[in-house]
Order: sequence, then structure tokens, then C-alpha cells
Amino acid sequence: MRNLLKALILAPVFCAALAVVGIAHAEERKSFSVCWSIYVGWMPWDYGAQQGIVKKWADKYGIAIDVVQINDYVESINQYTAGKYDGCTMTNMDALTIPAAGGVDSTALIVGDFSNGNDGVVLKGKKSLADIKGQSVNLVELSVSHYLLARGLESVGLSEKDLKVVNTSDADLVAAFATPDVTSVVTWNPLLSEILTMPNSNKVFDSSQIPGEIIDLMVVNSDVLKANPKFGKALVGAWYEIMATMSAQDAKGKAAREFMAKASGTDLAGFEAQLASTKMFYTAKDAVAFTTSAQLKTTMEYVAKFSFDHGLLGDGAADAGFIGVETAAGLYGSSKNVKLRFDPSYMQMALDGKL
Amino acid sequence: MSYIQIRNLWKEYADQVVLERINARVNKGDFITIVGASGCGKTTFLKMLLGTESPSRGAILLEDAPIPDEPSQQRGIVFQRYSVFPHLTVLKNVMLARELEHSPLLGKLFGSARRTAKQEALAMLEKVGLTAAIKKYPHELSGGMQQRLAIAQSLIRKPAILLLDEPFGALDPGIRADMHKLVLELWKQHQLTIFMITHDLKEGFLLGTRLWVFDKPRHDPQAPGAFGARITYDIPVGQSDRSLYQKIDQQLQVTQELTMEGNAA
Amino acid sequence: MKKIINLQPHNGTRWLLALLPFLLLLLLYVAASNARLADNPGDKLLPAMGSFADAIQRMAFEPDKRSGDYLLWVDTGSSLIRLGLGVGISALAGLAFGILNGAIPFARAPLSPLVTFLSLIPPMAILPILFIIFGMDELAKVMLIIIGITPALIRDMQQRVLEIPAEQLIKAQTLGASSWQIILRVVLPQILPRLLASVRLALGSAWLFLIAAEAIASTDGLGYRIFLVRRYLAMDVILPYVIWITLLAFFIDYGLKKISQWSFPWFHSQTGDGGKS
Repeated sequence: MRNLLKALILAPVFCAALAVVGIAHAEERKSFSVCWSIYVGWMPWDYGAQQGIVKKWADKYGIAIDVVQINDYVESINQYTAGKYDGCTMTNMDALTIPAAGGVDSTALIVGDFSNGNDGVVLKGKKSLADIKGQSVNLVELSVSHYLLARGLESVGLSEKDLKVVNTSDADLVAAFATPDVTSVVTWNPLLSEILTMPNSNKVFDSSQIPGEIIDLMVVNSDVLKANPKFGKALVGAWYEIMATMSAQDAKGKAAREFMAKASGTDLAGFEAQLASTKMFYTAKDAVAFTTSAQLKTTMEYVAKFSFDHGLLGDGAADAGFIGVETAAGLYGSSKNVKLRFDPSYMQMALDGKL
Repeated sequence: MSYIQIRNLWKEYADQVVLERINARVNKGDFITIVGASGCGKTTFLKMLLGTESPSRGAILLEDAPIPDEPSQQRGIVFQRYSVFPHLTVLKNVMLARELEHSPLLGKLFGSARRTAKQEALAMLEKVGLTAAIKKYPHELSGGMQQRLAIAQSLIRKPAILLLDEPFGALDPGIRADMHKLVLELWKQHQLTIFMITHDLKEGFLLGTRLWVFDKPRHDPQAPGAFGARITYDIPVGQSDRSLYQKIDQQLQVTQELTMEGNAA
Repeated sequence: MKKIINLQPHNGTRWLLALLPFLLLLLLYVAASNARLADNPGDKLLPAMGSFADAIQRMAFEPDKRSGDYLLWVDTGSSLIRLGLGVGISALAGLAFGILNGAIPFARAPLSPLVTFLSLIPPMAILPILFIIFGMDELAKVMLIIIGITPALIRDMQQRVLEIPAEQLIKAQTLGASSWQIILRVVLPQILPRLLASVRLALGSAWLFLIAAEAIASTDGLGYRIFLVRRYLAMDVILPYVIWITLLAFFIDYGLKKISQWSFPWFHSQTGDGGKS
């Protein structure tokens, strides 16, 4: 009986321990961790971690930053949202629909690139996007592919009601396209280029037709960043050093790109092909210019509308502006519920040489 | 002419002779009990009669033709265990034979054919004293009741020959006496030719018309499998005396011991 | 004081003891959830009980805004049809081939090694081949379940047929039965309860393959919904779905057990498998 009582008393203590573990806390800290997953725009993080660039910058600010690779993209964002990591790589849309919609105030610390052809709609046999009408379309539902499709459909006067979306795991999309049943897919690189090598496949729409709307970010927890500006400075400092290295047309730059190509499971030519359809912001100048432009606010408005229409903002959301998105060009949505912030100030520091 | 002739029958496995030079004639209506030390080929012999084993040499002739080499309805069998179907009630176990006979495709009867089969089965069950248990499943029956059911089930198909492989081996002595009575009654009534294996010599002297003793007349201690068993005694029951009983009993025990020593070596 | 192995809980106590771990789990959950929600009221990882109620209300009792469907029931219907077809076809195939292999040596000789070989292939590892053969539609999902559980069922049924005492097959022949009649009247009825037992065990794998199939390519189903809403960490939907799947699995298992006990009383009292409970 005494044991039972003990267990009853201890249980809540355990619960509390469980709950507290892994929540990113706002107080000043010395060690941080960020996670990333394999994608052309995020491979630099791997390079920076392996080559000691991240450590060099962390040391400079007297902190430690752990860079962790997670195989599954959605899982990496979920882990970040659950509080296991202080930062994570993700797209602008997922930043809005996962952490921000989950109440985790997040800041886009680094705007790394936007997809400029890296995501595309592929039809079998047909040559124009309008032919997609009435087809079943295989894609990862609620992902940027879905968003791209929605934007593409708008451009030809169609809507999602004109076709049937079949949620298909990204791991199986290439195999799916090889089957006779599947006639259209929406996906990203490197799957996209793989599918385009198949006979009879035509790319009818891609992200270069909506430039700057699918943005790849390093997102960090706003509270953590606020309490620890050093964390933001170290990450941004490291990032632009990596950018300078990899964009250089010299032996070292080539070695860096080769390193990233290998780590992402392709070769230099394959990686450079992916880079070609990605608009990288190699300099802080470009990134700041993009982040402070008025277009970003419009883009986030599109994204928020799409997300709201698909129920991604949660049930409390009365309209697309339920979650406030702060950009340099102004606030989109509710000012009382700002959960996603595009903050160019750290990138500006890099531009000004103040890191 | 004899009903069954056994001509120079041998059964050998790789390096072991089980039976050798078995010769015998059996008349219709004989009730033969077979005794012998364990492992001396009684069951093998029964299996050859049944058709699940075939002779290595020699032949068993039934009415001058080789006996069929797979089980058939001519020869009914009751094993020591597993003779009845666990998924059928007592009544259905007995009706099964009729259903198989008259319904080749479904193995099931309906309507008046079913009622006829049921009446027949009930009559048979009455003879073996299972009327009160017709709705029970075999696992709800005692060992003696299960064996009575097995006998009833076999006899409804009216076999000419009934093979019994230690059918009462697992039963209590009191129940065994009842069963002896039942078997003798049914034997007379159905004019059966019966082969019954028993490990109980007394049972062999008591039941039937003939007693066969299976034994190995020769032993080679270096090669226990070199010689097979033969029919060492073929005696009419009722005409034997006490001394013969004791003599056979002793010999079987010697064989048993020798066999065990051979196996141990 | 009796030895502990001889102490039996009374009826009421037993219920209480059975509920206790669940209550502790619930307590643990509520405490952890409260702690996280205090930190971030929008936390989605461990939602409050009220959020579950809302999610259940929304998924089960309100039409979806976009499609007008009651999502939980649509998902449940689709999944159960796939599961039922997959498991049903697998059971029939397991029964047919198991009996064939078990009862007929000339069928067993070529088929048994093949079935053993097939049963050792992990279906998830050859998905692209399955897509090419069966496409990506309903057929593919049902086929994944079938391919996943049938070989094991066939092997099990074959083994069960071989375990029927030879005496019974001989006995049936002495009663004049043909091979067909033996299969129909002796083998089949004795194998059916064993088939139900094997199907009950195989259902766990069947659910797994069903969820996997729905995660790969689908437009509805319980597995589809879970993998879809995982994209925005909607644990308030995922956890009730998981509990719902557990309940469905439990009731299907319980139903099969009752059907078996009711249809094959001889089997259950023979194996001592709770004919009366």
C-alpha cells in the first residue's frame, strides 16, 4: 500500500519532468541545437558543421551550437515545434502552418534561397497545365507541392475542385509515376529531375513561374533568439562564411559543392543542376533586399490563404489572417497573434560587417 | 480356399527386418487376437492388412486377389486413440459413413435420406449403449465411450474385416470387460473377420477364436535388427491350458528384454 | 499469510487493478500536457482533453468544410473495407492453399517451398514492383495486405492440416471417403477454427500494412488522415484516431473470438480456450 502511495505521488513528478524536458526555454543559455534535413538549399549547414565553420562562429560568441541532421523533413519541423531544437530549416509555408500555427513564436533568421524551378508539375503525355483538369494528381498533400499546384491552377483558371489530389509519400513518388495509373505528379528536386528523365513526361508548370514564393529558411524560436542574440549572430555569421566559400569559383568552392553533392547523394553535376533551379542568396545584401521587399508580404498572404483554405491554421482560425506574420514591409494578419517574424536585422549585421 | 492368405510375407526397413516369412490362412469369421513383445511388428502387420504399409516381399491375398494398398470400406479400423472425429457430435460421427456413401459431392445428406441415416445411426448407437450421449462431442466422453463410438462408427459401414489396434489399451479393467462383451456380440451379429492386437495376453486367451503370437525366434546380440518376428504360435482359443499361457508369457518377456538390451547397445 | 502466487484478487479488485495502469497513463498525460500548455498555450504535441473533444466533435459529428463529409466515418469506412477485403481474401487463400498443401503431397511438393520463400520477402521492400503490377488505387492497398499476410496464413494452415492425426484420415478412408470428401468433411471443419485463430493473430500485421498502404498513396482512410495531419502536428486528431484504431482492432478480435467460440464449441473446450468466459 505504501508503495502504491509512493507511485501516486511520484507519477506527477515524472510527468512534470517529461513535460519540461525538451522545451526550448527563453533564458540565457550557452548551448543550442538546430536541425536540418537534406535539400539543396540546406546542404550548406552540413558543410558548415563538418568543416568547423559553425563551431568557429559559436566559439567566437562563447556558445556551443549542435547541428543535427534529421532524415525526415516533416519530423524535423515537428521536433522543432515540440521544443526539442532551437532552430530548424524549413520553407515559409511550413513555418506558418506547423510551428506558428502550433503557437511557437518563430523567427525566420536566415532567408537562404527561393525555389526557382526546383518544384514542378509533371504530366504524362500532355503538354499544358490546363490538361490536368479531371486527372488524379499525386503529390504530398498540404506541402509546398500542393501550394504550387494551387497557384498553377489559378494561373489557368482552374481550381482544386477540377481534379483529385492523391496524397502520396515523397519516397514513393518516382515509383508511382512509373505506374500506368499515375498520370500527373507535383514534386520537388531531386525527385523532379528523376521523374523528368522518364519517357513521355512533361514539366507543365514550375516554381520559376511564381518566383520568390517558395522560400527556404532557417527558422529559430523567437524567445530563444530574444534572450540569446549571440545564438542568432553565430548562425548568421557562419552561414555567410559558408555562402562565400561555396559560391566562389575556385578550388575551395568546388570542393565545398562537391562535399554537399556527395552528402545529398548525387554528384557535382547533379547538385549544380539543382542549384541552377534554386535562387540562392549568396550574399547578405541579396537576402536583406528580398526580405525587406513588399513582395514577401504578398507572398505570405497567398500562403496564409492557401493554408487557411486547407484547414492548416487550426480550428480557432476565423480567417487567413488569424496568425500574424511580421515582415519588414508590414504586418500581415492579426497583430494580437504574431507567431511568424521575418527579421532581416541579423542578416543586416552581416551585411554591415558587424558580426 | 481361405478367405485371407498370407504368403511368405516380409517387411524390412533399411537395416532392420521387422517381419519375416509370415505364412497363414484365415477363414471368414475368424477372430484373431495378436500378442507379442512391443516392437515386434504387430502394428506393422495390421497396417499391411489395412493398406497403409505394403509388404517388402510376399503378399496378402483377400479372396485370392492382392489386398488393396490403401484403406477402403472393406476393412474397418479402431485405433487406441484418435479414431473419432472431434468436430462431430456422437450421432454425426456415426452418420458420417452413410453420408459419405450416398453423397459423393457434398458428403452430407438432407431430407428423407438424412432421416434414414439418422435412424440407422441411432440403432447402432443403441447397440453400443451411447443413446444418452448422441448430442455430445467426443471430448465430453470417457475413454470407454469414445472407443464404443469408434466401433459403432466403423460397423455402420458394414466392413467385412475389422482391425482393432489395442483398442482397449487405455481403458480401466472394469470397462474393458464390458467392451469384450460388446465386441464378441457385434462379431457374431455382423459375421465379421476380426484382427485385434493386444498387449494383454490374458485378453488374447479370452477373446476370439485364434491367438497369434508374434515373436523373434532368433536373436543376434550384435545386430538386433538382423532377424524379424514370425508367428511363433497359432493356437485355437479355448483349447489351451494354463501351462501354455505361462510358457508364452515367459518367452515374450525374454524377447522384450533382449530387444531392449539391443536398443540400449 | 498465503504465498503471493496463491493470492487471487476478487472481482471488484480485479477490475480496479486492470483500470489502474490506464488511470496512471491518463494522469501522466494530463500532467505533462498541462505543463506544456502552461509554457505555450498553442502547443500541439500534447493537447488538452478539451482539444480532443473538439477534434472528435469536428471529425465525427460535423461535415468537413471542404468536402461536406463526416471525415472519421468516411475514413473508418474506407479503411474497414480495405482491411475486410484484404483479410477476407487472405483468409480464403490461406484456407484453400493451406488445405491443398497440407492434404495433397503432390501439391505440397512444388508449392510449399515457394510459399515459404514468398513469406520471407518483406513486402514493403518491393513496393515499386507492387505499384507496377497493381497500380496505386484501391487494388494496391488491398494487395499489400494480401501479400503481407497470406503466405504466413498458408504456412500456418498447412501446418495445422498436417497436425490432424493420420488416424482420422485413415479412419475416414475406411468409411469409404474420397479425397474430396475427406477434405470437405474431415479437414475443412477442423481447420476453420484454427483459421480464425490465425486470422486473429494476422490482424495486427494487416492493420500495419493497411496504414502503410494508406500512407503511401491515398485520398481517405484512417492511416491517410493520420499521416496527413501529422504534416501540421495535429496530435489532437492523431491521438483520438490511434485510440479509435485500437478500439476497432480490439472489437474485431473480440468478435472473431466470440464467433469462433459460438461456431466451434468442440474446438474451444478441447484447447481449453475459455469456452465459458
